[in-house]
Amino acid sequence: MRYVDEFRDGELAQKLSREIEALAEPGRVVKLMEVCGGHTHAIYKHGVEQLVPDEVDFVHGPGCPVCVIPMGRVDDAIALAERPEVIFTTFGDMMRVPGGRGSLLEAKARGADVRMVYSPLDALELARRNPDREVVFFAIGFETTAPATALTLLRARAEGVSNFSAFCNHVTIGPPLRAILDSPGLQLDAFIAPGHVSTVIGTRPYDFIVEEYGRPVVVTAFEPLDILQAVVMLLRQLRDGRCEVENQYTRVVRRDGNPRALAALEETMELRDTFEWRGLGWIEESALRLRPDFAEWDAEARFELPGGRVEDPKACQCGEVLIGAIKPWECKVFGTACTPERPIGTCMVSSEGACAAYYNYGRLTVPA
Amino acid sequence: MSVEPEHCVTCSDEAVPARVVDVDGPNATVEAGGRRERVGIELVEPVEPGDTLLCHAGIALEKLA
Repeated sequence: MRYVDEFRDGELAQKLSREIEALAEPGRVVKLMEVCGGHTHAIYKHGVEQLVPDEVDFVHGPGCPVCVIPMGRVDDAIALAERPEVIFTTFGDMMRVPGGRGSLLEAKARGADVRMVYSPLDALELARRNPDREVVFFAIGFETTAPATALTLLRARAEGVSNFSAFCNHVTIGPPLRAILDSPGLQLDAFIAPGHVSTVIGTRPYDFIVEEYGRPVVVTAFEPLDILQAVVMLLRQLRDGRCEVENQYTRVVRRDGNPRALAALEETMELRDTFEWRGLGWIEESALRLRPDFAEWDAEARFELPGGRVEDPKACQCGEVLIGAIKPWECKVFGTACTPERPIGTCMVSSEGACAAYYNYGRLTVPA
Repeated sequence: MSVEPEHCVTCSDEAVPARVVDVDGPNATVEAGGRRERVGIELVEPVEPGDTLLCHAGIALEKLA
Protein backbone atom coordinates (compact mmCIF):
# COMPACT_ATOMS: atom_id res chain seq x y z
CA MET A 1 0.00 0.00 0.00
CA ARG A 2 1.33 3.40 -0.95
CA TYR A 3 2.57 5.53 1.99
CA VAL A 4 2.92 2.35 4.06
CA ASP A 5 5.05 -0.28 2.32
CA GLU A 6 7.86 2.07 1.41
CA PHE A 7 8.21 2.98 5.09
CA ARG A 8 8.66 -0.65 6.17
CA ASP A 9 11.51 -1.60 3.81
CA GLY A 10 13.85 -4.00 5.59
CA GLU A 11 17.04 -3.04 3.76
CA LEU A 12 16.55 0.65 4.43
CA ALA A 13 15.88 -0.18 8.07
CA GLN A 14 19.21 -2.00 8.28
CA LYS A 15 20.94 0.97 6.66
CA LEU A 16 19.41 3.38 9.18
CA SER A 17 20.24 0.97 11.98
CA ARG A 18 23.93 1.03 10.94
CA GLU A 19 23.83 4.81 10.78
CA ILE A 20 22.44 4.94 14.34
CA GLU A 21 25.15 2.53 15.46
CA ALA A 22 27.77 4.87 14.00
CA LEU A 23 26.26 7.97 15.60
CA ALA A 24 25.90 6.43 19.07
CA GLU A 25 28.71 7.22 21.46
CA PRO A 26 29.86 3.96 23.06
CA GLY A 27 28.89 3.84 26.72
CA ARG A 28 26.84 7.05 26.66
CA VAL A 29 23.13 6.22 26.90
CA VAL A 30 20.85 8.70 25.16
CA LYS A 31 17.29 8.79 26.48
CA LEU A 32 14.70 9.61 23.84
CA MET A 33 11.09 10.06 24.93
CA GLU A 34 8.53 9.03 22.37
CA VAL A 35 5.59 11.11 23.48
CA CYS A 36 2.83 9.38 21.58
CA GLY A 37 1.35 5.97 22.36
CA GLY A 38 1.28 5.33 18.63
CA HIS A 39 5.05 5.47 18.58
CA THR A 40 5.30 3.18 21.61
CA HIS A 41 3.04 0.71 19.84
CA ALA A 42 5.05 0.90 16.61
CA ILE A 43 8.40 0.55 18.40
CA TYR A 44 7.29 -2.70 20.03
CA LYS A 45 5.25 -4.06 17.15
CA HIS A 46 8.04 -3.65 14.61
CA GLY A 47 10.89 -4.51 16.93
CA VAL A 48 12.53 -1.10 16.54
CA GLU A 49 14.22 -1.51 19.94
CA GLN A 50 16.15 -4.46 18.51
CA LEU A 51 17.45 -2.28 15.67
CA VAL A 52 19.14 0.29 17.88
CA PRO A 53 22.20 -0.15 20.12
CA ASP A 54 21.96 -0.21 23.93
CA GLU A 55 23.08 3.42 23.92
CA VAL A 56 19.65 4.45 22.59
CA ASP A 57 16.95 4.12 25.25
CA PHE A 58 13.31 4.73 24.33
CA VAL A 59 11.35 6.24 27.21
CA HIS A 60 7.60 5.94 26.79
CA GLY A 61 5.71 9.16 27.29
CA PRO A 62 2.21 10.23 28.30
CA GLY A 63 0.62 10.28 24.86
CA CYS A 64 -1.90 7.49 25.16
CA PRO A 65 -5.21 9.33 25.57
CA VAL A 66 -6.95 6.36 27.14
CA CYS A 67 -4.17 5.90 29.67
CA VAL A 68 -4.28 9.42 31.07
CA ILE A 69 -8.03 9.59 31.81
CA PRO A 70 -8.46 9.70 35.61
CA MET A 71 -10.72 7.11 37.21
CA GLY A 72 -13.20 9.72 38.45
CA ARG A 73 -14.02 10.72 34.87
CA VAL A 74 -14.68 7.06 34.03
CA ASP A 75 -17.12 6.96 36.95
CA ASP A 76 -18.81 10.08 35.56
CA ALA A 77 -19.11 8.33 32.19
CA ILE A 78 -20.67 5.28 33.86
CA ALA A 79 -23.15 7.51 35.72
CA LEU A 80 -24.18 9.02 32.37
CA ALA A 81 -24.43 5.59 30.74
CA GLU A 82 -26.69 4.33 33.54
CA ARG A 83 -29.33 6.99 32.93
CA PRO A 84 -32.29 5.23 31.32
CA GLU A 85 -32.78 7.85 28.62
CA VAL A 86 -29.12 7.79 27.52
CA ILE A 87 -27.40 5.91 24.74
CA PHE A 88 -23.75 6.26 25.74
CA THR A 89 -21.27 6.08 22.88
CA THR A 90 -17.55 5.55 23.21
CA PHE A 91 -14.42 4.51 21.36
CA GLY A 92 -13.82 0.80 21.93
CA ASP A 93 -10.65 1.31 23.93
CA MET A 94 -12.50 3.12 26.71
CA MET A 95 -14.91 0.21 27.29
CA ARG A 96 -12.58 -1.76 29.55
CA VAL A 97 -10.88 1.11 31.37
CA PRO A 98 -11.58 0.62 35.06
CA GLY A 99 -12.96 3.49 37.10
CA GLY A 100 -13.69 3.35 40.82
CA ARG A 101 -16.99 1.59 40.04
CA GLY A 102 -15.87 -0.82 37.36
CA SER A 103 -15.79 -0.26 33.61
CA LEU A 104 -18.26 0.80 30.95
CA LEU A 105 -18.27 -2.80 29.73
CA GLU A 106 -19.45 -3.93 33.16
CA ALA A 107 -22.08 -1.18 33.18
CA LYS A 108 -23.25 -2.48 29.80
CA ALA A 109 -23.46 -6.02 31.24
CA ARG A 110 -25.69 -4.60 33.98
CA GLY A 111 -28.04 -3.19 31.37
CA ALA A 112 -26.71 0.27 30.50
CA ASP A 113 -27.02 1.15 26.81
CA VAL A 114 -23.34 1.56 25.93
CA ARG A 115 -22.36 1.43 22.27
CA MET A 116 -18.98 1.47 20.58
CA VAL A 117 -18.43 3.94 17.76
CA TYR A 118 -15.49 4.75 15.51
CA SER A 119 -16.40 8.41 15.15
CA PRO A 120 -18.44 11.05 16.96
CA LEU A 121 -20.22 11.48 13.61
CA ASP A 122 -21.59 7.95 14.13
CA ALA A 123 -22.90 9.06 17.53
CA LEU A 124 -24.59 12.05 15.89
CA GLU A 125 -26.22 9.69 13.37
CA LEU A 126 -27.50 7.56 16.26
CA ALA A 127 -29.05 10.70 17.76
CA ARG A 128 -30.81 11.48 14.49
CA ARG A 129 -32.21 7.93 14.35
CA ASN A 130 -33.29 7.87 18.01
CA PRO A 131 -35.00 11.21 18.60
CA ASP A 132 -36.61 9.96 21.82
CA ARG A 133 -33.25 9.11 23.42
CA GLU A 134 -30.29 11.21 24.61
CA VAL A 135 -27.10 10.24 22.81
CA VAL A 136 -23.92 11.14 24.73
CA PHE A 137 -20.46 10.82 23.18
CA PHE A 138 -17.45 10.15 25.44
CA ALA A 139 -15.04 12.63 23.85
CA ILE A 140 -11.47 11.72 24.68
CA GLY A 141 -8.15 12.19 22.97
CA PHE A 142 -5.51 14.77 22.14
CA GLU A 143 -5.66 17.42 19.42
CA THR A 144 -5.78 14.61 16.85
CA THR A 145 -9.24 13.53 17.95
CA ALA A 146 -10.67 16.80 19.22
CA PRO A 147 -11.34 18.15 15.67
CA ALA A 148 -13.69 15.20 15.01
CA THR A 149 -15.67 16.20 18.11
CA ALA A 150 -15.58 19.86 17.04
CA LEU A 151 -16.85 19.05 13.57
CA THR A 152 -19.62 16.89 15.02
CA LEU A 153 -20.73 19.69 17.36
CA LEU A 154 -20.79 22.16 14.48
CA ARG A 155 -22.92 19.76 12.44
CA ALA A 156 -25.24 19.10 15.42
CA ARG A 157 -25.80 22.85 15.79
CA ALA A 158 -26.24 23.44 12.07
CA GLU A 159 -28.79 20.63 11.81
CA GLY A 160 -30.50 21.44 15.12
CA VAL A 161 -29.93 17.97 16.58
CA SER A 162 -30.82 18.61 20.21
CA ASN A 163 -30.57 15.08 21.66
CA PHE A 164 -26.81 14.80 21.10
CA SER A 165 -24.16 15.89 23.58
CA ALA A 166 -20.46 15.41 24.20
CA PHE A 167 -18.85 14.53 27.54
CA CYS A 168 -15.65 16.40 26.82
CA ASN A 169 -12.35 15.05 28.12
CA HIS A 170 -10.09 16.27 25.34
CA VAL A 171 -6.55 17.08 26.42
CA THR A 172 -3.66 19.03 24.96
CA ILE A 173 -0.13 17.76 24.46
CA GLY A 174 2.01 20.75 25.47
CA PRO A 175 1.25 21.06 29.21
CA PRO A 176 2.02 17.42 30.17
CA LEU A 177 5.33 17.70 28.32
CA ARG A 178 6.17 20.77 30.36
CA ALA A 179 5.13 18.90 33.52
CA ILE A 180 7.47 16.04 32.61
CA LEU A 181 10.31 18.45 31.82
CA ASP A 182 9.75 20.12 35.20
CA SER A 183 9.69 16.86 37.16
CA PRO A 184 12.74 16.48 39.40
CA GLY A 185 15.36 13.91 38.57
CA LEU A 186 14.13 13.25 35.07
CA GLN A 187 16.86 12.60 32.55
CA LEU A 188 15.73 13.00 28.99
CA ASP A 189 17.99 14.00 26.13
CA ALA A 190 15.50 14.56 23.34
CA PHE A 191 11.92 14.08 22.14
CA ILE A 192 10.27 12.11 19.37
CA ALA A 193 7.18 14.31 19.03
CA PRO A 194 3.81 12.99 17.90
CA GLY A 195 2.97 12.96 14.21
CA HIS A 196 -0.79 13.09 13.99
CA VAL A 197 -1.33 15.57 16.79
CA SER A 198 1.07 17.76 14.84
CA THR A 199 -0.98 17.54 11.63
CA VAL A 200 -3.50 19.58 13.63
CA ILE A 201 -1.34 21.85 15.83
CA GLY A 202 1.78 22.09 13.66
CA THR A 203 5.35 22.08 14.97
CA ARG A 204 5.33 25.55 16.59
CA PRO A 205 3.88 24.38 19.95
CA TYR A 206 7.09 22.39 20.59
CA ASP A 207 9.34 25.45 20.33
CA PHE A 208 9.36 25.87 24.13
CA ILE A 209 11.07 22.50 24.51
CA VAL A 210 14.12 23.66 22.56
CA GLU A 211 14.02 27.30 23.69
CA GLU A 212 13.34 26.85 27.41
CA TYR A 213 14.58 23.33 28.12
CA GLY A 214 17.32 22.88 25.51
CA ARG A 215 16.09 19.48 24.29
CA PRO A 216 15.98 18.63 20.57
CA VAL A 217 12.64 17.60 19.07
CA VAL A 218 11.78 15.68 15.91
CA VAL A 219 8.12 15.43 14.85
CA THR A 220 7.82 11.90 13.56
CA ALA A 221 5.47 9.59 11.65
CA PHE A 222 4.57 6.07 12.72
CA GLU A 223 6.20 3.57 10.40
CA PRO A 224 9.38 1.83 11.56
CA LEU A 225 11.59 3.69 9.07
CA ASP A 226 10.12 6.99 10.23
CA ILE A 227 11.07 6.26 13.82
CA LEU A 228 14.57 5.10 12.89
CA GLN A 229 15.05 8.23 10.80
CA ALA A 230 13.93 10.38 13.74
CA VAL A 231 16.54 8.68 15.93
CA VAL A 232 19.20 9.52 13.32
CA MET A 233 18.02 13.15 13.20
CA LEU A 234 18.06 13.48 17.00
CA LEU A 235 21.50 11.86 17.35
CA ARG A 236 22.85 14.23 14.69
CA GLN A 237 21.44 17.24 16.54
CA LEU A 238 23.06 16.03 19.76
CA ARG A 239 26.36 15.32 18.00
CA ASP A 240 26.40 18.73 16.32
CA GLY A 241 25.29 20.58 19.45
CA ARG A 242 22.15 21.80 17.66
CA CYS A 243 18.78 22.13 19.39
CA GLU A 244 15.89 22.50 16.97
CA VAL A 245 12.35 21.39 16.24
CA GLU A 246 12.76 19.31 13.10
CA ASN A 247 9.95 17.79 11.05
CA GLN A 248 10.44 14.23 9.83
CA TYR A 249 6.76 13.86 8.87
CA THR A 250 6.75 16.39 6.04
CA ARG A 251 4.25 14.38 4.03
CA VAL A 252 1.42 15.72 6.23
CA VAL A 253 2.74 18.00 8.98
CA ARG A 254 3.06 21.73 8.36
CA ARG A 255 4.65 24.35 10.59
CA ASP A 256 1.25 25.91 11.39
CA GLY A 257 -0.79 22.71 11.39
CA ASN A 258 -4.26 22.63 9.88
CA PRO A 259 -5.75 26.11 10.38
CA ARG A 260 -9.29 24.92 9.66
CA ALA A 261 -9.04 22.21 12.32
CA LEU A 262 -7.70 24.77 14.79
CA ALA A 263 -10.52 27.17 13.93
CA ALA A 264 -13.12 24.43 14.52
CA LEU A 265 -11.55 23.73 17.93
CA GLU A 266 -11.44 27.44 18.76
CA GLU A 267 -15.11 27.86 17.87
CA THR A 268 -16.38 24.95 19.96
CA MET A 269 -13.96 24.51 22.88
CA GLU A 270 -11.92 26.48 25.41
CA LEU A 271 -9.17 25.64 27.89
CA ARG A 272 -10.13 24.39 31.35
CA ASP A 273 -8.31 26.06 34.26
CA THR A 274 -6.99 22.67 35.33
CA PHE A 275 -7.52 18.96 34.66
CA GLU A 276 -6.45 15.77 36.38
CA TRP A 277 -4.13 13.40 34.47
CA ARG A 278 -3.67 9.86 35.56
CA GLY A 279 -0.15 9.50 36.85
CA LEU A 280 0.71 13.17 36.40
CA GLY A 281 -1.83 14.80 38.72
CA TRP A 282 -3.50 18.16 38.09
CA ILE A 283 -2.05 20.20 35.23
CA GLU A 284 -3.11 23.77 34.53
CA GLU A 285 -4.68 24.62 31.17
CA SER A 286 -4.14 21.10 29.89
CA ALA A 287 -7.64 20.14 28.77
CA LEU A 288 -10.59 21.45 26.81
CA ARG A 289 -14.25 21.95 27.65
CA LEU A 290 -17.12 23.07 25.45
CA ARG A 291 -17.66 26.80 25.15
CA PRO A 292 -20.80 28.24 26.80
CA ASP A 293 -22.24 28.74 23.27
CA PHE A 294 -22.33 24.96 23.02
CA ALA A 295 -23.89 24.31 26.46
CA GLU A 296 -26.87 22.72 24.72
CA TRP A 297 -24.57 19.98 23.45
CA ASP A 298 -22.42 19.76 26.59
CA ALA A 299 -23.14 16.65 28.69
CA GLU A 300 -21.52 18.32 31.71
CA ALA A 301 -23.99 21.21 31.49
CA ARG A 302 -27.02 19.06 30.70
CA PHE A 303 -26.66 16.23 33.21
CA GLU A 304 -25.67 16.08 36.84
CA LEU A 305 -22.41 14.19 37.27
CA PRO A 306 -20.93 12.70 40.45
CA GLY A 307 -17.63 14.50 39.73
CA GLY A 308 -15.76 12.41 42.31
CA ARG A 309 -12.02 11.84 42.55
CA VAL A 310 -10.69 8.32 42.78
CA GLU A 311 -7.20 7.42 43.93
CA ASP A 312 -5.32 5.09 41.60
CA PRO A 313 -5.01 1.53 42.93
CA LYS A 314 -1.98 1.29 45.22
CA ALA A 315 -0.39 -1.62 43.36
CA CYS A 316 -0.60 0.27 40.06
CA GLN A 317 2.52 2.10 38.89
CA CYS A 318 1.00 3.58 35.74
CA GLY A 319 2.04 7.03 36.92
CA GLU A 320 5.71 6.12 36.96
CA VAL A 321 5.42 4.35 33.63
CA LEU A 322 3.73 7.42 32.16
CA ILE A 323 6.58 9.77 33.04
CA GLY A 324 9.18 7.24 31.97
CA ALA A 325 10.52 6.71 35.51
CA ILE A 326 10.16 2.93 35.19
CA LYS A 327 9.77 0.49 32.30
CA PRO A 328 6.51 -1.47 32.05
CA TRP A 329 8.10 -4.73 33.16
CA GLU A 330 9.48 -3.06 36.28
CA CYS A 331 5.95 -2.54 37.65
CA LYS A 332 5.10 -4.89 40.53
CA VAL A 333 1.92 -6.20 38.93
CA PHE A 334 2.96 -6.25 35.25
CA GLY A 335 1.96 -9.48 33.55
CA THR A 336 0.80 -11.07 36.79
CA ALA A 337 -2.11 -9.29 38.48
CA CYS A 338 -2.32 -6.79 35.60
CA THR A 339 -2.80 -8.18 32.08
CA PRO A 340 -4.69 -6.94 28.99
CA GLU A 341 -7.54 -9.34 29.91
CA ARG A 342 -7.80 -8.02 33.48
CA PRO A 343 -6.09 -4.63 33.56
CA ILE A 344 -5.51 -2.83 36.84
CA GLY A 345 -4.00 0.26 35.28
CA THR A 346 -4.82 2.11 32.12
CA CYS A 347 -1.42 1.53 30.50
CA MET A 348 -2.45 -2.10 30.15
CA VAL A 349 -5.87 -1.34 28.67
CA SER A 350 -5.26 0.50 25.47
CA SER A 351 -3.20 -1.25 22.79
CA GLU A 352 -1.22 2.02 22.73
CA GLY A 353 -0.47 1.88 26.43
CA ALA A 354 3.18 1.16 27.11
CA CYS A 355 2.35 -1.89 29.23
CA ALA A 356 -0.05 -3.50 26.75
CA ALA A 357 2.30 -2.80 23.85
CA TYR A 358 5.16 -4.37 25.74
CA TYR A 359 3.00 -7.28 26.92
CA ASN A 360 1.86 -8.04 23.37
CA TYR A 361 5.03 -7.48 21.39
CA GLY A 362 7.98 -6.61 23.51
CA ARG A 363 8.94 -9.63 25.54
CA LEU A 364 11.83 -10.62 23.34
CA THR A 365 14.76 -9.51 25.39
CA VAL A 366 13.46 -9.02 28.91
CA PRO A 367 11.52 -11.79 30.66
CA ALA A 368 8.18 -10.73 32.14
CA MET B 1 -9.83 4.85 11.30
CA SER B 2 -7.85 1.71 11.14
CA VAL B 3 -7.35 -1.15 8.73
CA GLU B 4 -6.13 -3.29 11.60
CA PRO B 5 -9.05 -3.39 14.01
CA GLU B 6 -6.97 -4.26 17.07
CA HIS B 7 -5.52 -0.79 16.99
CA CYS B 8 -6.58 2.11 19.04
CA VAL B 9 -8.79 4.59 17.24
CA THR B 10 -8.31 7.36 19.71
CA CYS B 11 -4.90 8.62 18.84
CA SER B 12 -4.60 7.45 15.31
CA ASP B 13 -1.40 5.48 15.42
CA GLU B 14 -2.80 3.76 12.39
CA ALA B 15 -4.43 6.79 10.81
CA VAL B 16 -3.93 4.99 7.56
CA PRO B 17 -3.77 7.04 4.41
CA ALA B 18 -7.03 6.48 2.54
CA ARG B 19 -7.82 7.08 -1.11
CA VAL B 20 -10.92 9.09 -2.01
CA VAL B 21 -13.40 7.11 -4.11
CA ASP B 22 -16.36 9.48 -4.12
CA VAL B 23 -17.27 12.91 -2.77
CA ASP B 24 -20.76 13.70 -1.48
CA GLY B 25 -21.18 17.18 0.03
CA PRO B 26 -19.25 17.41 3.34
CA ASN B 27 -18.47 13.68 3.22
CA ALA B 28 -16.26 11.44 1.13
CA THR B 29 -16.11 7.70 0.68
CA VAL B 30 -12.54 6.57 1.18
CA GLU B 31 -10.84 3.24 0.73
CA ALA B 32 -7.94 1.85 2.74
CA GLY B 33 -6.78 -1.73 2.97
CA GLY B 34 -9.82 -2.89 0.99
CA ARG B 35 -12.28 -1.31 3.40
CA ARG B 36 -14.55 1.60 2.56
CA GLU B 37 -15.63 4.25 5.00
CA ARG B 38 -17.37 7.60 4.99
CA VAL B 39 -15.44 10.51 6.44
CA GLY B 40 -16.17 14.20 7.01
CA ILE B 41 -13.99 16.39 4.80
CA GLU B 42 -14.76 19.95 5.98
CA LEU B 43 -11.21 20.40 7.28
CA VAL B 44 -9.46 19.50 4.02
CA GLU B 45 -11.81 20.63 1.23
CA PRO B 46 -11.67 20.75 -1.76
CA VAL B 47 -11.27 17.01 -2.24
CA GLU B 48 -11.36 15.01 -5.44
CA PRO B 49 -11.51 11.29 -6.16
CA GLY B 50 -7.96 9.95 -6.22
CA ASP B 51 -6.71 12.25 -3.45
CA THR B 52 -5.10 10.58 -0.45
CA LEU B 53 -6.36 11.70 2.95
CA LEU B 54 -5.12 11.07 6.47
CA CYS B 55 -8.28 9.99 8.28
CA HIS B 56 -8.96 9.64 11.96
CA ALA B 57 -12.14 9.11 13.99
CA GLY B 58 -14.35 9.57 10.98
CA ILE B 59 -12.89 12.77 9.61
CA ALA B 60 -10.06 13.71 7.27
CA LEU B 61 -7.31 15.60 9.09
CA GLU B 62 -5.01 16.36 6.19
CA LYS B 63 -4.30 15.72 2.54
CA LEU B 64 -1.08 13.85 1.85
CA ALA B 65 1.40 15.73 -0.25
